[in-house]
Amino acid sequence: MRAILAIVISGGLALVAGAAPRAVSELAALIDAAPAGTTVVVPPGEYHGRLRIDKPIVLDGEGRATIDGGGEGDVIEIACAGVTVRGLRIRGTGKDVSSEPAAIRALAGETTIEDNQIDDALFGVDLREAPNSVVRRNTIRGKDLEPGRRGDGVRLWWSHGCVVEDNRVDRTRDLVFWYSEDLTVARNHVTGSRYGLHFMYSHSTEIVGNELTGNSVGVYLMYSNRIRLTGNVMTNNRGASGYGIGLKDCDDITLEGNALLANRVGLYIDNSPSSVDSAGVIVRNLIAFNEIGFLATPNTHDNRISGNAFVENEEQAATNGRGDLARNTFSADGAGNFWSDYAGFDLDGDGRGDLAYEPRSLFSSLMATQPNLRLFVHSPAQQAVEFTARALPELRPSPMFTDPAPLARRPALDLPTGTSERSAWPMATLGAALVGGAAMVCLALTRDGRLHVGERRIA
Amino acid sequence: MSAVPQTVAIESNPRRRSYAGGALAFARREFRDAMSSRWFLLYTMAFSALAVAVSFMSLSGAGSQGFAGFGRTTAGLLNLIMLIVPLMALIAGAGTIAGERERGTLLYLLAQPVSRTQVILGKYLGLALALVCSLCIGFGVSAGALAWRAGGVGLGSYATLVGMTCALALAMLAVGTLVSAMSRRTGVATGVALFVWLALVFLSDLGLMAGSILFKLRVQEVFGLGALNPLQAFKMSVIVSMNASLDVLGPAGVYASQAFGEGLPWLLGSVIGAWTIVPLAVAVGAFARRGSV
Repeated sequence: MRAILAIVISGGLALVAGAAPRAVSELAALIDAAPAGTTVVVPPGEYHGRLRIDKPIVLDGEGRATIDGGGEGDVIEIACAGVTVRGLRIRGTGKDVSSEPAAIRALAGETTIEDNQIDDALFGVDLREAPNSVVRRNTIRGKDLEPGRRGDGVRLWWSHGCVVEDNRVDRTRDLVFWYSEDLTVARNHVTGSRYGLHFMYSHSTEIVGNELTGNSVGVYLMYSNRIRLTGNVMTNNRGASGYGIGLKDCDDITLEGNALLANRVGLYIDNSPSSVDSAGVIVRNLIAFNEIGFLATPNTHDNRISGNAFVENEEQAATNGRGDLARNTFSADGAGNFWSDYAGFDLDGDGRGDLAYEPRSLFSSLMATQPNLRLFVHSPAQQAVEFTARALPELRPSPMFTDPAPLARRPALDLPTGTSERSAWPMATLGAALVGGAAMVCLALTRDGRLHVGERRIA
Repeated sequence: MSAVPQTVAIESNPRRRSYAGGALAFARREFRDAMSSRWFLLYTMAFSALAVAVSFMSLSGAGSQGFAGFGRTTAGLLNLIMLIVPLMALIAGAGTIAGERERGTLLYLLAQPVSRTQVILGKYLGLALALVCSLCIGFGVSAGALAWRAGGVGLGSYATLVGMTCALALAMLAVGTLVSAMSRRTGVATGVALFVWLALVFLSDLGLMAGSILFKLRVQEVFGLGALNPLQAFKMSVIVSMNASLDVLGPAGVYASQAFGEGLPWLLGSVIGAWTIVPLAVAVGAFARRGSV
């Protein structure tokens, strides 16, 4: 009996101890006691305070421990190489952008940060000169701040050879990569942020299978060369810039098998490639349902654009400013791109249109030099302008570019599936409600034959 | 259909009827007349067929990615709506008073124990209800097609589109009613309504485009003048509801989003509201003055 009582009391004490927040110094003591290279399992519970790790250990919360920084500065700082932080819930960084407080800041390489859940953080994971590190399967959510005052979900600074994969990031500024080379950035899912993936002076990287939805820009590469983007999905990136993919002064970029859907601009190219002897390769992408499929500065040249499907973009291709895209190649080995608005035909059945695809929309060319006219897109007046240009050929502008061998059928692109399908029932219900409501009103008002005032008409 | 027995049912106890009740009786009469006329059936069928066709065309090829381009569908529907709906509403409104003046039936109506304001407001209300029913049937059928082909994408935007289209129809009906109240003959009223349609759909926008280029108008001027057109206000409010911003409309749209922010939908809605209330008020005044002549 006494033994049972003792067990109950100690169990209750343990529960109380587990629920009440403890000081991080308890954790620091555990780490001090552990030999280098061992695993420290954090006892379940909530810890308050800021932690500094300066010994190569594995710190494992097993998903049951929380560290709350209390809204001041960084939460965890990793000061030596070879540290792993895993399975922790981390929250409560400071929020002053100028001091850049982070949930986890690594100042040395060979760091592994995985399976953590980071909330209420100005910066999520910040790697400073931390080469060969891994950031994997973390969930990162920023603070509820206006975009201009947020920090980066993940930031790499002079950290070569890192792997950033399978993270889910919501409502931060960017996942940004500064001066970092030979990276693998794969299968991350970024929503509600400014730039999903942002590369600055970071070369030789693979960007694979990421999903970037509802940001201002999906992927923005700046001054970064030799980057391959494959199998990424960019959906609904709108707002101030609103690009699925943006390239600024980048050389030797390869975009292959990406899906750019319903962005303001699918692919935006600003002066890329910028060097004389380099080229951009844009092949087998699906660029669909964007306001502008492909937008480029008029000086853009030396991109090979082939085997892509340009489907139902409001404007398939455009320049921002007077000029054309004629110095790019729109076909390779006799095969061009699929354009959903291609009006030609394929009589010889070789899968290529017999007439070249030459976009020469009068309204597009007007908008290139008179951006204010964009106010009138989606209106009958725009159609009237296009109709006039078709009727009076002398008004037609010269073609913006020529695709000599447009694909007659939409290519079967091996693309990742995008947004998951939603149930059709709400829409069907709305339809039924509209028809049913109208029918009921009609019936109710015309049912009985009595008119209360007057009559229909005098014969 | 038009061979309905011409019953005459005089109100049994006119003094009991309230002011609104009198107007509602006219609304009901107008609604029934609209329902039994062929043009109404024709418009409903044409609008439904076109809406379904546009939805299908916009969605062709969208399925393989599990992604439906609702934005594209809306863009297609927008163009259709901006052409057809004002035409429907203006012509329907143009016929309402002038037609009865021409036939002489208006004298009979005005002999009833109701005021002229009640008559014209009742007529407007009845036609408005008929138009909204017609649009709802078209949108309902189109929603069915969308659900079948694309799943439940963009439900909220679609509902907004339906609501804004009804608002646009009410505004254009008010303009049509005004034209009708000031015309003696249906032919004249219809002609004027057609010209108003042409002006709102094409001439004002094309003129503003030309003006913007010739006089190098600033963004705020282009936006302000553009948004005065109820059709453009309608288009912009649909786009705002879909994208939460007008950035797809270029610099003028970005300016509007930044300058008015959250208030932009209200601003655009009040433009359409003004296009409803002002013509209707003028029509009531004109009808009170002119009566059956």
